[in-house]
Amino acid sequence: MSKISNAARSIGKLDELARKDTWLNRIHPLVKLLVTLLYLVLVVSFPPIRLTGVLAMALYPFLLFEISGLSFRDALYRLRIVLPVVCLVGILNPFFDRERVLTVFGITVTSGTLTMLSLMVKGVLTVLSSYLLVATTTIESICGALRMLHIPGIIVTEFLLICRYVTVLLNEADRVTQSYALRAPGQKGIARKTWGPLIGQLLIRSMDRAKALYQSMCLRGFRDDRPYLTVKSVTATDLFYFAICCSALIALRIFPVLELVGGLFVS
Amino acid sequence: MSHIHIDIAGLSFGYEEGIPILKDLSVSFHEKDAVGLIGANGAGKSTFLKLLVGLELAGTGSIRVEEIPVEKKTLAKVREKIGYVFQDSDTQLFMTTVREDVAFAPRNYGLPEDEVNRRVQRALELVHIPHLADKAVCRLSGGEKKLASIATILSMTPDILLLDEPSVALDPGNRRNLIHILNEFDHLKVIASHDLDFIWDTCNRVLLMDRGQIIADGTPDGILRDEALLTTHALELPLSLSRIRPG
Repeated sequence: MSKISNAARSIGKLDELARKDTWLNRIHPLVKLLVTLLYLVLVVSFPPIRLTGVLAMALYPFLLFEISGLSFRDALYRLRIVLPVVCLVGILNPFFDRERVLTVFGITVTSGTLTMLSLMVKGVLTVLSSYLLVATTTIESICGALRMLHIPGIIVTEFLLICRYVTVLLNEADRVTQSYALRAPGQKGIARKTWGPLIGQLLIRSMDRAKALYQSMCLRGFRDDRPYLTVKSVTATDLFYFAICCSALIALRIFPVLELVGGLFVS
Repeated sequence: MSHIHIDIAGLSFGYEEGIPILKDLSVSFHEKDAVGLIGANGAGKSTFLKLLVGLELAGTGSIRVEEIPVEKKTLAKVREKIGYVFQDSDTQLFMTTVREDVAFAPRNYGLPEDEVNRRVQRALELVHIPHLADKAVCRLSGGEKKLASIATILSMTPDILLLDEPSVALDPGNRRNLIHILNEFDHLKVIASHDLDFIWDTCNRVLLMDRGQIIADGTPDGILRDEALLTTHALELPLSLSRIRPG
């Protein structure tokens, strides 16, 4: 199976995960969206030097992975392209910021190293929490939640269509490359001189298919300014989940949890 | 005479100026008509269907669906009455599961969730695929996709059904199933197809098109048995008829 069809399948699998009937999937999408947004804001709000604070925030995604039954290994595998990019952020910090902060087992840790690690952890945590949201909530439900937040219909529609057309683009790319490979046996990859026409064809074909899909939606009553999105009403369980998550996250942000726990063992 | 559902007068259309695809068509379709639109490649069959549902707007002439002119401002009303099944089922199906896709139109029309569920179940039963309701669309076979496509339209409870090459890529079993389903739909339907046997099995009226014009309009018996007429317009006798031809 080609890398492109693997990517398309991966999107499909993510959508299947989001449609499962687990307790986390059943939580109202607006609640999950708000909790995720709060989490992102809190993680980003830590000063770069406070690595222990950021590490404590890892409790939220790890706990959710554990109790929701989602596979952490699967998540890492799916995010294998994004995570290295995220880890590159701040990689030069140790070279520019050499101020000595502490020594651990005889190794000097500089401020630059700490900020680099902090940025990496922040990046990984934000990606993981976003993954948790999309793996337990369908795109339609997320869009429904956005509409509940009074995000304009046209913007939500754009978001929804982009999500749909990504698969269309991948499928078309897969067909084009398969057709190429079948007529270029033994050749590794695609010859550089054919990149231009191939990308041109891919764009034209994707646009044609996207247009046909859009027409199909319009023929079934779809309107740009009024995307159909059904969102159930918020229940007491949703509110309970919201209250627990928000208070726990705010507590993790305010109190130096790891330092307090460490203080119990180190005098 | 039964109530006229679609009335077309002096219809001409072209994608580019000076290159007409359809030339001065005038025809009416009635409530119980099962119209087979036949013709060689490039005859204008698909364009004709697209004009009926307003995917393209007429250059000159008029199309009226139940007295409503097909214009930009009336498209929503017209499309509530007409169900259009695309040739390529991958174009028709865009949601994740069959159930979600079939529910797409009723939800868009603002029906309550109970009614949406009822319609989804009914549409799936009509095409004999209730067992596929929760299956991912990307995992369906070609035949299942075609049936699911038709279910997405039946859930709109349309008065008129338009189908573009419905029998393409279907195995004999699914093809027979589709013929049965279409014969059960007792409202107006217009089927564009090269598959003359399929037209023979599903239609009570046939329009032969060539180069954007209607060449013949009559019963399947009158047109599909006329070998000279079909050959002149780059078609052949349906296989089922050619087998029983004397001599």
